Amino acid sequence: MSTSPLGASLNRIDGRLKVTGAATYAADVHPGRVAYGYMVSSTVASATLESMDVAAARSAPGVLAVYTPFEPLKINVPYGPFRTSWAPLQDREVHYMGQPIGFVVAETFEQARDAAMLVTARYQERTPKTSLEDGIPGATTPPQVDGEPATLAFLKDGVASIDEALAAAERVVTATYSTAAQGHSAMEPHSAVADWKDGALTIYSGNQGAGLQAADVAGALGVEPAKVRAINPFVGGAFGGKVYTYPPTLLAAVASRALGRPVKAVLSREQNFRMTATRPATVQKVSLGARPDGTLTAMKHEAWSSSSVILPGTEASAHHSSRSWYASENIGVSQRTVPLNVPPTTIMRAPGEATGGWALETAMDELAVELGVDPIALRQKNYQTRYPGRDVPYSSKHLDECYTLGARRFGWDRRPATPGSRLDGDWYTGMGMATAIYPAFRFPASMLVRLHADGQATVSGSTGDPGTGMWTVLSIMGAETLGLPVHRVRGNLGDSTLTPGGFVAASSSTASVGSAIVAAAEEVKRKLIELAVTDTRSPFHGRPAEDVRYQNGDLVSGGRRLGFGALLRTVELTGVEAVGSSAPGPEARAHAFASFGAQFCEVRVNRWTMEPRVTRMLSVMDAGRVVNAKTARSQIVGGMVWGLSAALHEGLHVEPDGRIANGDLAGYLLPVNADVREIDAVFVDHPDLTFNPVGARGIGEIGVVGMAAAVGNAIFNATGKRLRALPMTIEALLG
Amino acid sequence: MRAFTFAAPASVEAAVGGDATTAFLAGGTTLVDLMKLEVLTPSRVLDINALPLRGIETGRDGLRLGALERMSDIAAHPAVAERYPVIAQALLASASQQIRNMASIGGNLMQRTRCGYYRDVTVPCNRREPGSGCPAAEGTNRPHAVLGTSDACVATHPSDVAVALVALDATVRLRDAAGTRTVRLADFYRQPGTTPHVENVLRPGELVTDVLVPALPWARRSVYLKIRDRQSYEFALCSAAVALDVRGGRVAGARVAAGGVGTVPWRLPAVEAALRGRPARQETYEAAARQAVRGARPLTHNAFKTTLLRRTIVRALLSLEAGA
Repeated sequence: MSTSPLGASLNRIDGRLKVTGAATYAADVHPGRVAYGYMVSSTVASATLESMDVAAARSAPGVLAVYTPFEPLKINVPYGPFRTSWAPLQDREVHYMGQPIGFVVAETFEQARDAAMLVTARYQERTPKTSLEDGIPGATTPPQVDGEPATLAFLKDGVASIDEALAAAERVVTATYSTAAQGHSAMEPHSAVADWKDGALTIYSGNQGAGLQAADVAGALGVEPAKVRAINPFVGGAFGGKVYTYPPTLLAAVASRALGRPVKAVLSREQNFRMTATRPATVQKVSLGARPDGTLTAMKHEAWSSSSVILPGTEASAHHSSRSWYASENIGVSQRTVPLNVPPTTIMRAPGEATGGWALETAMDELAVELGVDPIALRQKNYQTRYPGRDVPYSSKHLDECYTLGARRFGWDRRPATPGSRLDGDWYTGMGMATAIYPAFRFPASMLVRLHADGQATVSGSTGDPGTGMWTVLSIMGAETLGLPVHRVRGNLGDSTLTPGGFVAASSSTASVGSAIVAAAEEVKRKLIELAVTDTRSPFHGRPAEDVRYQNGDLVSGGRRLGFGALLRTVELTGVEAVGSSAPGPEARAHAFASFGAQFCEVRVNRWTMEPRVTRMLSVMDAGRVVNAKTARSQIVGGMVWGLSAALHEGLHVEPDGRIANGDLAGYLLPVNADVREIDAVFVDHPDLTFNPVGARGIGEIGVVGMAAAVGNAIFNATGKRLRALPMTIEALLG
Repeated sequence: MRAFTFAAPASVEAAVGGDATTAFLAGGTTLVDLMKLEVLTPSRVLDINALPLRGIETGRDGLRLGALERMSDIAAHPAVAERYPVIAQALLASASQQIRNMASIGGNLMQRTRCGYYRDVTVPCNRREPGSGCPAAEGTNRPHAVLGTSDACVATHPSDVAVALVALDATVRLRDAAGTRTVRLADFYRQPGTTPHVENVLRPGELVTDVLVPALPWARRSVYLKIRDRQSYEFALCSAAVALDVRGGRVAGARVAAGGVGTVPWRLPAVEAALRGRPARQETYEAAARQAVRGARPLTHNAFKTTLLRRTIVRALLSLEAGA
């Protein structure tokens, strides 16, 4: 008998490859005759290019080609499944500082880089728009947010507006919160190796879905989707920053076609900060109205977010938090966007939830202080069981258990009752908490399960593993559904020619891919039994199919038992396989789905120099069934550090002229190990079988959601100082 | 990175005497970075790692450090940690273990400012390109200096250990083709004035060979306190190197220097004077620390540094008192 691997703590199957450097990332691919491309960046943020002088670059040693908007490589716009409307070098407009305005291809990386530095440009400059605050009066209204209007209100009968509800509230707290723009800058920089051969392209480039990338690149090249093969088995971090296709991939692809040889383009860290992917900055105004007992009667959350000019988007801070998190008689949310001359804004881990959670969960803490009630009690008082606007229940919600278990584990009863009242030596100490909620998504996915004559099984699809643990999930899910030990199941992913396994985004892939594997495994077992009873060489030949059972890799009927490998050898087949597909079904109409959590933090703030240091963090998560305890914990812990980073360290500093003042890893601060002391993540175990047959919900993003507010609330508890702008700095505490 | 010639001279005599386009390469942790950014564009790079500029020696006269000794080795030396804790602590608060394993003490003293405009060749900088202007005066100047600044430059000196060494009256021995000379470290650095590109008194082709720290028995009670935006691997917003000689409850002697706030490692004699002879207690420290910010010129984003400097000094002094 095999034991179910579901929920066990397994090392990453690809872990050894990664830590020994054996895993092949895109830039590690070295096709013969590969040439190297290097970007030329704009040095102004808003302009029309008047001219460019590329003569020196073109005659520099080893240079094969210099492409600019004046001598471009054609890229079809819009392209791909997202109908992306901008591509590099297609026009002379400059929309942000650091925008690619040229692409130099040479025999070596150094030759390309050195030649790129010889390119000069003349601009007809405009005054760039770079301040979110200044842009708020002229903010634009996005056409929709998640398919809903940008301004939404859920009001009690007889209430005319959210403002009327607030005016009638017995107690109100109102405050404005802000968050800094963040740069993605994954450990693996955006990079690509493109190899155009015989009318078809192979592209190696880290991305969140090989199928998605192949479709994007085929669209950009104007070729049939089947002519592009995208390969990215290992991706060094993505988090939303590699959903779309970025300039190195597009330019390497078109340059390879133009030059008839492979082209590699790898961004420098400084370029990565400036020409790829950032989380918008936000300003958010939150008003909470309540009765003295803590019952919320009105919640109003207005959010403004920055956006790049070229790829507009909205950080849905209000829609992704106050819209649904608490049971209030009246709820009003709105989103506005301020297009700026800043690097491309995009999705980043918990888009909307992370920034909105900061504002809402800080406001809830402020309300708890105002009313003199415990912050956890305030949240329990307003516990939401249904989804506003759709009036459906959550499929499975055990947030209450997260609150009580978290409070007990963290020692919440030892929290100082009065802010600023506890000194440990020279250090103020305090605790804070916050709620974390992230919706659970499931997208269509297909996976192939194949049983081999050697007794092994493979599970494959074009899904990806940008560090999330999908390689290991494939083996676990294959082992679970086939009743095999994990070592008998191999995964395969990150190749657009595999079965269309969907993409890795929105914390959806384990639920989506896992469900497809369940379906594929059932189908392959059925096919195996059919083979067993119909092939004349099979010992089960002629028996009714319903009399043959599949059990842990064996077929069993009467007194006979035979492994699938032996059966396949007997009937002289190398294998039997089946594709399973899964997509949301009717359950999606009757329920809302989300993961939930309670997050806790303890801080110390020095009473002289006021630097805040986090000493303990805890998350208690209700995320359905945990597939791999080890990588699941890693996901949550990683999210928590991300939130800590947003709270105390991280922020892209955009100067008035559009220059990024801290676009490298020396200036752009992230927590180091010494900033992360005790950290723990635990799960309450409630498989969500209404959501999908695996019972798993997303865990990739929820870890970040409440952490910044928990830190800020702990700082308030420690010092009595309420900080409303991220990151929270020493000077804000000294002031 | 621009093309350059490379050599590894076998002797100090062969290494010195070059012109201003020659750069010495020790650990390379600053030089190579800045060459990649094209902030520094030497036409000749001399690898000096084979030169006999080694040794960590303690004796009655004090401490001698060969210029090529690695930061990590000095920090781990028992006599340094025992007699000059402020030096060991300043080293351990610097950079990362990997960088400390590579970087030499001589190179540490020669490291360049972390001003973002200095490091970005697409913008003006008087230190990098004399007369081109100073965007930091009105720009992103949170990390910049409030002491020793000029209209031409407001960049901080980044070294931690230089602050400790200045507090301890250290000197550096210099060698060029003409011979050897010794300069107080406090005099080695030049405040920017109207010539911020002249960072120190080194002549072209002159090499730092030794760092000498005089004996100071009461430096055993010394501390380096560094305040920064994260717990490790980050430059100081403000730091204090402090040594305190307390006898009979009174301050008999004090050494105080500050980092992260000055254009050079910043000795604070007025603070020392305000401590001497007074009772060793918080009120004395707070009064003395107020002397630290006399003449400070805060910029648009770093006004907090004057408050932080006072408090850092008080906290450092209190920490020594607590250890008494």
